[in-house]
Amino acid sequence: MTWSELRAFSAIARREHQVFSRSSTFWAVVGLGAALGAWRASPPGTSAAMAAYQALQIIVLGVGVIAIMLAGSVATRDRRQGAAELVLAKPQGSAPLLVGARFAGMWLSMLAAAAIMLAAASLAQAGLGGAGWRPGPYLNALARAAAPLGLACALGLSLATLFHTALASGVAALYWVSIPLTRSYLPLVLDTTLSQHRLLATLLGAGALAVAAARYGRQVRGPRRGGARVAWAAGLLLAGAAAAAVAAALSGEDLLTRADPVLAAIASQAALPERPAPGFWLRGADGRLVGMTDFAGRPTVVAFWGPGSPPSARSLALLAQAQAEFADQGLVCIAVCLDRDAATLRPFAREVEGEMVMVWDRGRHFGDGMEWSDSPLAVAYDVERVPVLFVLDAQRRLVHKLEGEVSAEWLRQRISDVLAAP
Amino acid sequence: METEIRGLRKVYPGGVVALEGLDLDIPAGVFGLLGPNGSGKTTLMRILATLLEPTEGEAKVCGRDVRREKAAVREILGYMPQDFGFYPTLSAYETLDYFALLSGVSSPKERRARIEQALARVNLQEMAGRRVGTFSGGMKQRLGIAQALLNDPRVLIMDEPTSGLDPEERIRLRNLLAELAGDRVVILSTHIVSDVSSTADEMAILHRGRLLFSGKLGDILAPLRGRTWIIDLEEEELSRVRAEFFVTGVFRSATGLQVRVIAEDMPHPRGYPAEPTLDDAYVAAMKQEAQAGDVV
Repeated sequence: MTWSELRAFSAIARREHQVFSRSSTFWAVVGLGAALGAWRASPPGTSAAMAAYQALQIIVLGVGVIAIMLAGSVATRDRRQGAAELVLAKPQGSAPLLVGARFAGMWLSMLAAAAIMLAAASLAQAGLGGAGWRPGPYLNALARAAAPLGLACALGLSLATLFHTALASGVAALYWVSIPLTRSYLPLVLDTTLSQHRLLATLLGAGALAVAAARYGRQVRGPRRGGARVAWAAGLLLAGAAAAAVAAALSGEDLLTRADPVLAAIASQAALPERPAPGFWLRGADGRLVGMTDFAGRPTVVAFWGPGSPPSARSLALLAQAQAEFADQGLVCIAVCLDRDAATLRPFAREVEGEMVMVWDRGRHFGDGMEWSDSPLAVAYDVERVPVLFVLDAQRRLVHKLEGEVSAEWLRQRISDVLAAP
Repeated sequence: METEIRGLRKVYPGGVVALEGLDLDIPAGVFGLLGPNGSGKTTLMRILATLLEPTEGEAKVCGRDVRREKAAVREILGYMPQDFGFYPTLSAYETLDYFALLSGVSSPKERRARIEQALARVNLQEMAGRRVGTFSGGMKQRLGIAQALLNDPRVLIMDEPTSGLDPEERIRLRNLLAELAGDRVVILSTHIVSDVSSTADEMAILHRGRLLFSGKLGDILAPLRGRTWIIDLEEEELSRVRAEFFVTGVFRSATGLQVRVIAEDMPHPRGYPAEPTLDDAYVAAMKQEAQAGDVV
């Protein structure tokens, strides 16, 4: 890209951003999302990591839908507002430059919406939640929102360019909404709502943009002069996305582990009273593997929690407190985060002080009740809802299973019992 | 010739023939393209603006082929469609900036200069910062012209630019078109005869996709000289005169009715000779075409 093309690119992106960000739809979505995020961040004791996580969920789903719809209406917008012929009659440089700049402008608008919503959640959390404000989790959430929002814009833009109808963006938006509602049934490799498959999201997004550019080029220059190179690039990028999807599927990481024989075998080693509890190797927030055998011979509390359940996230403070109180007696507290995305753990881990061990396992749950989980460990421990705590003695035998929120005093008593036992 | 059209034919999907083998030469100056709604004017304008592929034939704008050299044609072309709109949330300046970028002007300094010049041309400098969504119809038309002027085009195509304007705006716009003509081509398509008679140097009349006339204003009026009459009539005589003569216009005066008639000899005792107008020529051309169609 030459210097003058770069200047044109940024100027078009800026104008496109203005077209988007000044629309009433945009501000309605931002207002609604900000209010919802602030409301979710306002209960006393809400941590910054939790507030940011909740806001991220709203952004990815809500702003994602709007992104795909607004981007999907660009071609139809030009026609609806009568600007299409004015635009098409201009020489307008290369189609990839124009489509890319328009995409960049939309993406910028969506990121601005996300930033405003995160700022609202942050203010509510600091003012009402009052559990220690930090910028880190909010910046982390903004970075994690970038890929899915970019993908939504790219898909919307390409669908609209291909089909020239608002229906295309409607179908895409429906798909976007349907993902979280029908997760159990859709092949998980298509689950791009979270930033799990960055490579797939990037290739698919770039491929969609290249398709839009090729199509737009044909529209602008006529069918006989369509950009063959752009069409080739689109084909290669989409083939790459397909390959990434197949690789992800074959890796098994996203398959429903309910039907996984390995998971079935682990589940057969269920945690039973007076029997050694199932062991595990899982990655911590720093990426290192942590196993039960690292703490052999020490009484242990294994707690399952998930960011989708604020009460379970609050139990982390209780565990950290117990860890600090009983560390000199050899107690180890291990908090297992169940979530789709390993990156979720990091902001929460930064909020917990002390020696408590925090690890992540692939899992998912909705609200406070566990809908289902593809975490082998959660199945082995028969976890139906979070929070749930398992108190194990020094021989790793299960002594107590505590479901739901517990008081500090109650937990202290159970731990003391285990420590006092011969 | 600045613009040459040879054997141009356009058939839309479904078999509707919009242009039927059109041959036309358009010189520099204001060129009026006159015809009723559905005569093929907009189809011709869109083909010249590279927005529509002709079915057959060729068209060259300043020697550049509209089919094979679309980008080259667009570089020298300013186009204002019949119906158009802008992004309502952008100001007039921002709108023109966007279109200047699409016209390939990447330097901010040059864009600013061109925008200011275009705004001055259409007398919208005071409105530069105002959002386009708040503009009146006339202001939008002027902004439409401004966007077409951004690349200092050699050919300016205006499709029905005066429709929907109040009389004052229409006069202002005609004056502007005359000013803009200079050494460039301004192709003005309209179904309003007075738009052409007051601005165009040369003109063409289209009807059902075919060319009825092409040439200077004087050329179309010449055959009517000495054959155009005005008759002062009583109201009850009108139907008889209509049946008997070729009437091109009926007007109400203080004394009764005045009828414009084309006839070889004095058609009525209260008739007197008149200078032919483009209205007479246009109506005559349309009637003759309709009669020819009936015969066929």
